[in-house]
Amino acid sequence: MLSITDLTVSYGPVEALNGVTISVPRGEVTAVIGANGAGKSTLMRTLAGLVTPAAGQATLDGEIITRKRPEDIVRMGVALVPEGRSTIPELTVEENLRLGGLWRQKSDRRTTQAEVFDLFPVLAERQRMRADTLSGGERQQLAIGRALMSNPKCLLLDEPSLGLAPLIVTQILHLVRRLADETRIAVLLVEQNAVTALRMADTGVVLNLGRIVQTGPAPAIASDEKLRHAYLGY
Amino acid sequence: MTSFIDYLIGGVSNGAVIALMAIALVLIWRATRVVNFAQVGQAMFTTFVALTVQTLTGSWALALVVAMVAGAILGVIVQFLVLRPMRRADTSGAIIATFGVLIALQAAVGMIWGGDAQAYPQPFDNAGVVAFGRIWPISVYDFVVIGVTILLVIALSLLFTRTSIGLAMRASAFNPEVARLSGVRVSRVLTFGWALAGVVGAVAGVLVAPSSTVSPTTFDILLVFAFTAAVIGGLDSLVGAVALGVFAGLVISLVSGLSNSGNAPVVALVLLALSLITKPDGVFGHHKARAV
Amino acid sequence: MTSLLRFPGARLVSHAAFVIIIWFLVMRLNDSVDPLANYYIALVAMYATAMFGMVILVGLSGQVSLGNGALMAVGGYVFAVTSLHWQTVPILGVPWNGWWSMVFAAVGGIVVGLLIGGIAARLRGPYLAGLTLGLAVGVPAIANRFPELLGGESGLMLTVPYPEGGYAPVEEEVFVDSSADTLSGDASTMAVPSADAAVSPDDMLTMDNFPTTDASAAVPSVDASVIDPGATDMSGVDLSGTGDLIDASFIIERWQAGLAITVACIAAFIALNLVRGRQGRVWRAVRDDSVAAAVAGISPAKAKVSAFAVSSLFAALAGAVFAQILSYVGPGAFGLGLSLSLLVGVVLGGRSSLLGAVIGGLLLVWLPEFVLSLSEKGGWGDQITNNAPNLIYGLLVVLVVLLAPGGIVGSVQMLIAKVTRRAPKGV
Repeated sequence: MLSITDLTVSYGPVEALNGVTISVPRGEVTAVIGANGAGKSTLMRTLAGLVTPAAGQATLDGEIITRKRPEDIVRMGVALVPEGRSTIPELTVEENLRLGGLWRQKSDRRTTQAEVFDLFPVLAERQRMRADTLSGGERQQLAIGRALMSNPKCLLLDEPSLGLAPLIVTQILHLVRRLADETRIAVLLVEQNAVTALRMADTGVVLNLGRIVQTGPAPAIASDEKLRHAYLGY
Repeated sequence: MTSFIDYLIGGVSNGAVIALMAIALVLIWRATRVVNFAQVGQAMFTTFVALTVQTLTGSWALALVVAMVAGAILGVIVQFLVLRPMRRADTSGAIIATFGVLIALQAAVGMIWGGDAQAYPQPFDNAGVVAFGRIWPISVYDFVVIGVTILLVIALSLLFTRTSIGLAMRASAFNPEVARLSGVRVSRVLTFGWALAGVVGAVAGVLVAPSSTVSPTTFDILLVFAFTAAVIGGLDSLVGAVALGVFAGLVISLVSGLSNSGNAPVVALVLLALSLITKPDGVFGHHKARAV
Repeated sequence: MTSLLRFPGARLVSHAAFVIIIWFLVMRLNDSVDPLANYYIALVAMYATAMFGMVILVGLSGQVSLGNGALMAVGGYVFAVTSLHWQTVPILGVPWNGWWSMVFAAVGGIVVGLLIGGIAARLRGPYLAGLTLGLAVGVPAIANRFPELLGGESGLMLTVPYPEGGYAPVEEEVFVDSSADTLSGDASTMAVPSADAAVSPDDMLTMDNFPTTDASAAVPSVDASVIDPGATDMSGVDLSGTGDLIDASFIIERWQAGLAITVACIAAFIALNLVRGRQGRVWRAVRDDSVAAAVAGISPAKAKVSAFAVSSLFAALAGAVFAQILSYVGPGAFGLGLSLSLLVGVVLGGRSSLLGAVIGGLLLVWLPEFVLSLSEKGGWGDQITNNAPNLIYGLLVVLVVLLAPGGIVGSVQMLIAKVTRRAPKGV
C-alpha cells in the first residue's frame, strides 16, 4: 500500500502541493482528478523522486520513499509512467522494455517481459521496431510496459490519455484496471479526463490548487454535481 | 594517378587516428551535451605517460595499456571536478571550462615532461611495405594503427548494442529522466562514458605519437581535425565520426601530399566552415545518427 | 546632474570625457616610467583592446569564441603588408603612414568579422566554439600558403616605428634597439625586443604567447636572416619626412605604449557607447532569450553578426598594435595560445564588463612576472616557471566558471550589492 501523508511541495514562494494525504491500497485504482495546475503532475513527480517535497512523506508498505533518488525509488517498487511520450524513440521496443528492468536479474527480467507481452500483445509483434514507428496508443502501452518491467508494487500513471483518441483511452484504462485486478498492483492515476478515469477507478481524489477538496468512492465523486461544476468544469 | 592513390592509402592510418579522437568527442557529446575540448589535453597527458612507460620498460603494448588506464582515470577526474559541478552553469560556462582544463593540462604536461617536442619511438617497422614489385606508402605500423582502430570500433559497437551498460548509456544520452525513472544510475553511467572517451582518446594519442613528435601543443591540430570530423558526422553519430574521421585523414593526406603539409589546418578550416554553412547539424543528421 | 544628462548626446559626451581623462592619466603614467614598464603598459592596453571585443562577443552576445587571436592576425598582417608594400594611399594618393595601416587593419577586421559572423550566427554553442577553434589554428597557417607575401612560417619583420607614425629605414634598426637598451638600463630589459637574442621561427611556433619569463624569446628579435626582402625596399622611402636620423631621446617602448593606449581608449569609447546604449540591450536580449528577442522585433542573427563584427574590429586593431609592439608578424605570434589567453583574460576579469577586460589584461601581463619573481626566490626550474602561469590560468578559469561566473568584476559587484543591498549593474 502506498500512503501519502501531508505532502507539501513548493516551487519558491508558490505552494504546488499543500498537505496532501492519500492512501492507495494494492489491487485498487485511485484516480486523482483536477484542472490544469491543480498539482497533479507535481504529486507524481514528487512520488517518483524527481521533485523534493518541503514537508510530509510517502511510504510504500511502511518504507519511506520520499527524498530518495528516482533510480532508488524504482528499485523499491514504485514506477512512474510520466506524462507525454515517455518512451525513448531511438531505441527499439524490446530495448525500451529491457531498459525498464535493466537493474534486475536477467532471468527475472525475462519472466516479466513475457508477462508484459501477454498483457500487450502488440508489443511482442513490434519488439524489433524502433519506438518512434509505433502509434500513440502503442507507445503508451510501451511506456506502461517499461514501467512494469521493474515489477513494481505501485504504478504511477501521469495522464495516460494525453493526446490519444477516446477509443484508445478507454482501451488503455481498461488495461490498467485489469492490471490492478490481476497483479494486485496499487495504481495511482492522474487524469484530466475525469469521466473516463472515475468510471474505472475505485477511489476518486479531487485536487484543486494543491489541496485535496474531496476524497471518496469513485462513483460518488462522479455523481457529485457540485464538485463537477466547481472543480472539474463539466 | 599513382601518386594520388598512394596519398589516399597513406592517409588511412591518419584518418583512423582522427576517427578515434572524433569518437571520443562524440561519446561525451552524446552523454553530456558537452564538447570536451580538453580531450586532446587528456590524450597528450596520457601519451606522455605512455612515453615514460615505454622508455622505462621498452614495451609498446604495456605503454598503450597504461595510457588507456590513465585515460580512463583522467576522464573521470575531469568529469568529477569540472563537468559535474557545471550542470547548473550555462553552455558558455561549460565550453569555457573545458578550455580551462585544456590550458591547465598542457601546462601540466610542460611542467612534468618539458615543453620541447620529443620523439616517440617507432614500435614497428615504419618502412613502406614491399609487395607486387613495388613499395607501398603504408607500413606495418600503419596496419597496426588501422587494426587497433577497427578492433576498438567493433568493441564499442558491441558494447553499445549488446550490453546492459551500453543500453544504459544510450538511454541516458537520449532521455536521462526516463533512464532514471527506469532505475538507471545515470550519473554513474555518464562517468563511465567519460572514462570510455578517455580510453579512446588515449589510444588515439599513443597511435599517432610515433608519426609526429609529442609536445604539449602537438595535438591541437588533431583536435581541430577530430572536431571537424565529429561535426560533419553530426556529433551524435559514432558511424559518422568514424566515416568522416577517415575521410578527413584522406583529404589531409592528399592536400599535404599534393601541396604542402602546412596547408592541412587551412583545409580543416575550409571543410569545417563549408559543412557548418551547408548542414549545421551534420551530414549524418539527427535521426539517422541516433540509430547507432 | 540628472537634468544635465538628459540632452541628446549627453551620454556620448560623458563617455568621451571619461575616456579622455583616462587617456590623459595613463599617458602621463606612461611618460613617467621606465621602458620595461612602458612595454608592459603597451601589452595591457593591447590585450584590453582585444578583450573589449571579447566582452561584447562572449559576455554580452553569449558566443564563445576562440577565434579572436586569428582576427588579431588579420589586423596584424594587414598592417604589416600594407605598411611594407604601399607607399601612397590608394585613390587618395597621399603618402602612406602607420595610421593608414591601422585604418586598413580595422577595415580588414570588420570585413572578416562580418564573413565569420555570417556563418557563426547560425551556430549553437559548441559548434561555434569549434569553428572558431578552427579559425585559431587555420588562419595563422594561411601565412604558410603565401610565403612571398606573408613571409611563411618565419613571418614578416616590421621596420621599427618612428615618431609621428612613420617608419625608419630598416638599416637603422640596430641603432634604435641599442638606444632602447641603454635607456632601459638594467638587466630587466630582457623583456624588451633586443637585436641579439636570435629566435628561430620554429621556437615561435611552439611557444605559448603569454609574455612570460623568456619574453626575450616571446618578442622576436631583429635578425637579419628573417627580414623580409620587401622590407629593405623601404630603405629609400622616407614616409614620415623626418629623415633617417635617429633621435637619441626617442624611446621606442614609450612610443609603442602611447600608441597602444590611444588605440585602447578609442576602442573603449566605441565599446562604452555600444554596450551602454541600445545595441548593448539588443545583444543581452538575444543572449538571454533569442526567441523572446525575436518576438520583440530584434533580429537575433543581425545582433550576433554585429557582435562579431565589432569584436573583430577591436581584435584587428589590437593585432595591428601587437604587430608594432613586436615589430613582427608571424603565425606563431597569433596562434591558439593567443586566442586562449584572450579567453582566459576576459573570463577572469569579468565576462560581461569592459572594466573586466582591462583587469584581465593586467592579469595576463602581471601573473607571469609574479610567477617569475617567485621562481627566482624559490629557485624553480625553467620547466616549472614557464608553465606555472598557464597552469594557474587554466585552474583559475575552471574555478571562476564554477564559483564566480562574473569574474573579478562580477564578484566585486556582487559584494558591493550585498553590502549596499542593491542589484548589481553591468558596466
